[in-house]
Order: sequence, then C-alpha cells, then structure tokens
Amino acid sequence: MSFLDLDEWLFEVAKFADIVYSPVASDIKDYPEDVDVCLVEGAVANEENLELLYKVRQRTKFVISFGDCAVTANVPAMRNMLGSSEPVLKRCYLELGDKTAQLPHEPGIVPELLDRVRPIHELVEIDLFIPGCPPSAPRIQAAIEPLLKGEQPVMEGRSMIKFG
Amino acid sequence: MSVVTLKINDIDVAAEAGKTVLDAAREAGIRIPTLCHLDGVSDVGACRLCLIEIKGIPKLLPACVTEVAEGMDVTTHTPQLDEYRRMTVEMLFSEGNHVCAVCVANENCELQDVAIEVGMDHSRFTYRFPERGVDISHPQFGIDHNRCILCTRCVRVCDEIEGAHVWDVAGRGAAAKVITGLNQPWGDVDACTACGKCVDACPTGSIFRKGSTASELDRDRGKLEFLVKAREENQWTR
Amino acid sequence: MSKTVVIDPVTRIEGHAKISIFLNDAGDVDDARFHVVEFRGFEKFCEGRPMFEMAGITARICGICPVSHLLAAAKTGDKILAVQVPPAGEKLRRLMNLAQIIQSHTLSFFHLSSPDFLLGWDSDPAKRNVFGLMEANPDLARAGIRLRQFGQTVIELLGAKKIHAAWAVPGGVRSPLSEEGLQWIRDRLPESRQTIETALGLFKQLLDNTLKDEIDIFGQFDSLFMSLVAPDGTWEHYGGHIRFVDSQGNIVADGLREEDYQDFLDEAVEPWSYLKFPYYKPMGYPDGMYRVGPLARLNVCDRMGTPDADRELQEFRQRAGGRCATSSFMYHYARLLEVLACIERIEQYVDDPDLLSSRCRAKAEINNLEGVGVSEAPRGTLFHHYNVDENGLIEKVNLIIATGQNNLAMNKTVTQIAQHYIHNNDVAEGFLNRVEAGIRNFDPCLSCSTHAVGQMPLHIELLAPDKTVINTIYRD
Repeated sequence: MSFLDLDEWLFEVAKFADIVYSPVASDIKDYPEDVDVCLVEGAVANEENLELLYKVRQRTKFVISFGDCAVTANVPAMRNMLGSSEPVLKRCYLELGDKTAQLPHEPGIVPELLDRVRPIHELVEIDLFIPGCPPSAPRIQAAIEPLLKGEQPVMEGRSMIKFG
Repeated sequence: MSVVTLKINDIDVAAEAGKTVLDAAREAGIRIPTLCHLDGVSDVGACRLCLIEIKGIPKLLPACVTEVAEGMDVTTHTPQLDEYRRMTVEMLFSEGNHVCAVCVANENCELQDVAIEVGMDHSRFTYRFPERGVDISHPQFGIDHNRCILCTRCVRVCDEIEGAHVWDVAGRGAAAKVITGLNQPWGDVDACTACGKCVDACPTGSIFRKGSTASELDRDRGKLEFLVKAREENQWTR
Repeated sequence: MSKTVVIDPVTRIEGHAKISIFLNDAGDVDDARFHVVEFRGFEKFCEGRPMFEMAGITARICGICPVSHLLAAAKTGDKILAVQVPPAGEKLRRLMNLAQIIQSHTLSFFHLSSPDFLLGWDSDPAKRNVFGLMEANPDLARAGIRLRQFGQTVIELLGAKKIHAAWAVPGGVRSPLSEEGLQWIRDRLPESRQTIETALGLFKQLLDNTLKDEIDIFGQFDSLFMSLVAPDGTWEHYGGHIRFVDSQGNIVADGLREEDYQDFLDEAVEPWSYLKFPYYKPMGYPDGMYRVGPLARLNVCDRMGTPDADRELQEFRQRAGGRCATSSFMYHYARLLEVLACIERIEQYVDDPDLLSSRCRAKAEINNLEGVGVSEAPRGTLFHHYNVDENGLIEKVNLIIATGQNNLAMNKTVTQIAQHYIHNNDVAEGFLNRVEAGIRNFDPCLSCSTHAVGQMPLHIELLAPDKTVINTIYRD
C-alpha cells in the first residue's frame, strides 16, 4: 500500500518498468521467468508463502526484502513467542467460533501454518533490504530510483533504514 | 590533577588521569557508540558497543571502563570494529523481542538509533523469540522484559542516584532479567519511591510510563545529568 | 467428469485468496467457494500486552485501513478508561475516518476495479491493472491517484504518518490539526470534489451502457444489511447505534448496542477457509447472511445528511428500484457516493475551530475490565472487544472484522457469476476475471479479515526491447 503512496511518481516507474506480477496491480497468476526486480512484502507464515518465495528467488535477478514484516517478521512473529501455531488457531476457530467450531483444513487449498513466522532472508538470499513499517514513499523512491538506472542504492541513515 | 597524553585515531589528545578512553574520545569530538553507558552513573561495560583497539594489547577493550594512560595509541573505528558493533546490535535485536513498529519508544529509542548508526538493515542472526513478561502492577510505570537489553542502567540509576536500589539482575544466561525488589511485582515493592529515574534512564521502550501508546514515550535524560551535577558541583539550577 | 477450477491467487484485491469453481459432468457450475488462505492470530498474541498498545498493534493488521483499527481500538480503550472523549477529540477522529474512507474507496475504484470497467473484462490480463489504466487514460488515473493522495495526506497531517499512524488513543487523540494542515485541506477540497463528481458521473454512464447487465449477474440477491446509523437515522461512520434492515428496507433490528454484539452476531467456521462466517444470530447459519460496508450503509440509513450526497442517494435508490440496492455490483456505486459524502462533510468541518483545539484527550486509569468498541471501516462495521486485568494487561481479545461479515455474500456472489458465465467446461480467462470481480465488488481486505498479513510481492520487470506478453495461467 505504501508503494501506492508514491502517487504520481508511479507514472515515472511505469516509464522504466513493467509490473509483471503483483496481487494488487496485476492479473498475472503465475510468477513469470526472468524477472529483474522483485519487492517481497510480508513474513513467511505458511507453506504457500514459502513455496512462492522459493519460486520468486529462482526466477528473479534482484530480490528486495521489503518492509519490516519481510525483514524482521515484525508483528506477525509475535505468535512465535507462543511456541507453535496451535494456540492462535485454537483461540480463533475453536474458542471464538460458534457450534460449528473446527480448525480450517483443506489440503491444497488452505495452506497449513508454519510453526514459526520467519523473515525472508532466513530462507533465501536477499539482494537489498528496505526496512520500515511501512517503508515511507520517499524511502521507497530513494531505493528504487537508482535501481531503475542500474545503480545500487545507498541504504544508510535514519531516512533509509530505521525500523518501525 | 595530572594529565596524560595519548593518541586516538592518530590525533594527539590530552586527558585527565583516571578518566576513561570514552571520556577522552568524547572531549576530542570522536564518537564511539554506546548503550549501557549513562552520564552520571558508574560504567559496567555490559553492552560491548564501545570496544576499541589499543596498540600492544592483543584483545579489544571497552572504552567506557578503560582508563587513559600515557602514550596509549587508541583506534576507535576500523572496518573490523564496525562489523563487530553491527553484530553486537544484531544480537541484541535477535535476543529479545523488539517490535519497533508497535513500541512505545519507536522514534525515541537508543537501540533503534544505534542500529541506524552501525548500518543494520537486517539481523543476520536468527531471532530467538523468547517468552518474556510484562509487569504493569506499578501505579505509574511498567516494564516490558521483551524490550530489555540488560544494560542495567535502571539498576545503577536507582541505586546510585535515587538510593532506593529497587532494581537488580537475577538469573543467568538467557534467563537473566532485571527484577524489582526480591523478584516481586513492581507495584508491591515498598522501596520504590516512584521517582521515575529508571524510566528516564532506560535506553529502549522497556521501562515506560503507563498509558503510553506506540511511539509516545519521551524521556528527560537531562534530569539525571542535572541531578548528578547538582550534587557534585553544587549547581542547583538548570 | 466433474472437475474443479481453482483461481489462485485472486488478484487486484488486498490479501491472499483463491476461488474454487466446481463443474459437474455437463461442464456447468455446481458451486463456487471463496477461500481466504492467510491467518495471523492477533486475538491470541495480543494477550499480555498493555491495553494502551492495542491501537498500535491492531493498526498493523492492515495497511489499507489501519485507521479503522486505530479508531475501534481507541474507542474500546475509551470504554475501559470510562471516559468521555472531548468534543475536539471526537471531531478529529471523525475527520481521520472520513479521510480514510476517501483514500480506501478511491483505491478500490481507481486502482483495483476500474481497469475492468474501462479496459474491459476480457482485455489483456497483462495490462488490465492500474498501470494499464495510466496508459489508457492518464488524466483519469492521475485524478484518482491524487484523490487517494488527498485522503492519505489528511491522515498524515493528523497523525504524522500515512500508514500506521498511532494517533488516536484511548481517551481521544494525541494532537490537533495545525493551521497550515487545515489550510492544505481547504485548498485541496475543490479538486477532490471535482474528481469524485467526474467519477460518479462516469460510473453512472457505464451503468446505463456497458455495465448494465452486471447489476443482475454480479451478486443480485436478498440479504440483511447492517451498519451504524446516527440516532436520527442519518448515515454514520463513527458513532450512533447498529441497525439491520432487510432487502425491502424494513428495519429488522434497531438501536442495537455494540456491547451486545454477541446477542445478535455469531461466527461459523468452515474447514475450507481461514475466514470465519459471521451471521445474524436470530436467523441462524447460513440464513442469517448479511452484508456490511458502503452498500449496507446506504441501504440502512434514512438520509446522508449533506445536500449533494442526499440528492445522489435519491438517484441511487431510484436506480436500484427501491429503498435497498440488492446487487453486490452496486457496492462500486455506493463507494463513489460515500466519497462524495465524506468530502462534503470535510467541507463542513474545515471551519470548525475545534479541529485546532488541544483539549482533545481525556486521561484516566483502568476503570472497566471490559470494553467493546465499534467503527465503520471503509468495508463495514468493525468490532474490537477486550478484557483486561486490574492493571490493564490484555486478557482476551475478540475482533470481528468488516470483510468477514461479507463472507457468506461473497461466496454467493462468486457462485452466481460462475453459474451465469461458465458452461460446457468453457472457462475463458475473461469469465474467470468476472468471477474474481465478484470479490472485488466487496473491496475485501483479507489482511484484516483473518488478521493475516498478506504476503504481497510486487514485481517489477525492466523494459526489454522485445518483451513478450506472459500468458495467464490458471491451475486446474
């Protein structure tokens, strides 16, 4: 969402880049081959996140860990302190459900939660980290602008790497 | 008062004997990152951020508890030292549960500041996600052990400035934690004068004023310095 | 042979979801299901946190409507402190919610859904998105982007951050608006009004022409509608009480208090989705299906309370052929109408000196051990329910999120669309896109509804001279 806060600068992005995959900004269903840059948002919380992340890494030249959830696992990882995914599932679907209370389970459709929510760099190699909750639009712009010119952005100082 | 001369980063520096390398460096305008150091209370060398190289000494020494000596040749910044400092900060982050986004000290946190200073854009160490508690039994203040980095500033400020000695450290290794009284709920500790010095001393959002919401904590660090100065130098105004 | 078509992921929505379409031997649609596939578990891991932090934590549930959680958490906090928020505090909170409804609805219309309306259901899937719109109709796209920016900037002027501003707190808000901030809002209002009037006009035109048939296909059915209304029945987004109406507009229940939500709402669980299925308890599951959000708010209220929006509401009801619009496709229309209403309300607000008043926060200790707070999120009514201990540590949390309450209706909508378009095993891409659009009607926020973080990669490919269009792939 913060990406969309780039507002009219999105027109500039569109001049230099094709958005080839994004659940929000594209209808392409399968992650394409030979992608130049990918911003991965969110921590890895379930089997499908993991599967997609591996695919993204395989098919992308430059992977960016985008936002605190991807970089540190952040708030979603607060369930890690409980040891496994069971307590959160139980509370939501058994204790707070009506008489139909049951745990969601449909293999292939509803992905199983992993016991631990993890930052993405624990699982695949990352080329650039853009922390922030969320990274502000100026920070995103300052990181992406050099990439569009084929240069490596400088990730230093409060405006670029402060968490939170 | 005797004076010694030493070199810090190849600059000749004169310092009062008995002062620490950290003091001498600061006077010379050289910044060394710190977390457990707090002006006005004793130093303990707990955080290891201020580690420096001294020529002729085969190990790194913490600048905050190393006294200056005649002819000392100190280096405060090398690529290796910078790397160690960054690792230290990463370890602090992965050891506790530091969720900056929702923390009362967000934007106003020395751990966050020091992470920026050492260039930490992520932690290379796996997060431990320890199970730690929150105690808000005190009428005015609370402590969230998730955010504690065991710098022991609260322990020292309460003992050395307030003289109440409410705080202490209990346990070892991963189980170590700061405690109030004899490991009682803070609200039950009679010795606490509710002066709030520990809130002002805490570098993170661990000790906070109750009712603080995210990013809302502000501290009065100047108050601690003022109190020490008032006592030591009889300067009673600020 | 019967088979199942899975749309994975559903795109141009916020969050991760799939749709299964079940085809029978004849290749026609038996049934369709909407699956939400993410889950985080806020209700459990907030336990043990100080109540005051809930606004900040729950705001992290969602990047599109953090303000809704902020307000619901703050209002729950008000109840636990047992304080009355000062008038300035309430007005400032309302202003932020209006700004958020503007930015969120604008995002839904311009960025997510309008590519279908303007580029066509069957247009090239590689272009059928906000960037395609920017290419095809740059003026409209720019106006939409700027309208969203208006909402986002008002939020930033109030809370010092566009997304995740932890500014509303138990007891009120942290700080008032600045003189300069107020002036910025005044200056930008005329352009914003212009944009929404253009969009509203455009959409009505589309409804008369190319989108005429969609009304009867994209989720046309009877259900209850629920939302907040002001005590006098006027459209409401922050306070008031809860009202249910049926498809004819008859009041089913009125004057309901959020504290009693467990008397009239319950949540069913199905094994095939992480999204629960709330229903109106007196009618049971699944007969107690109700819809929330912009469509429901327009159907439930007696009037909008501002002149232009009231005129538009009359036209809206005329077009719907009665007091209630029963087609889910009308959500888009309702959203645009609400943006106009929000802008009109902000126009009325900007001369109120209270917006600059620093008497905007009441402070108190923990005085109640339980509280329920409610607010109208862009997508519908949002409930927060906390139990705390004597010191204010959270003991139990229940959240009923706007999007979840449309779960039954979303499932019914996708089934209706799939049954209309898909025959003889012909699952053309454009048909499947229409099925997904059934979900986009509701502008669901799945991060919120399962309290899940959507892992939402955004991918950029640099322009290559001989770039080839990538085929859309659907898994069977």
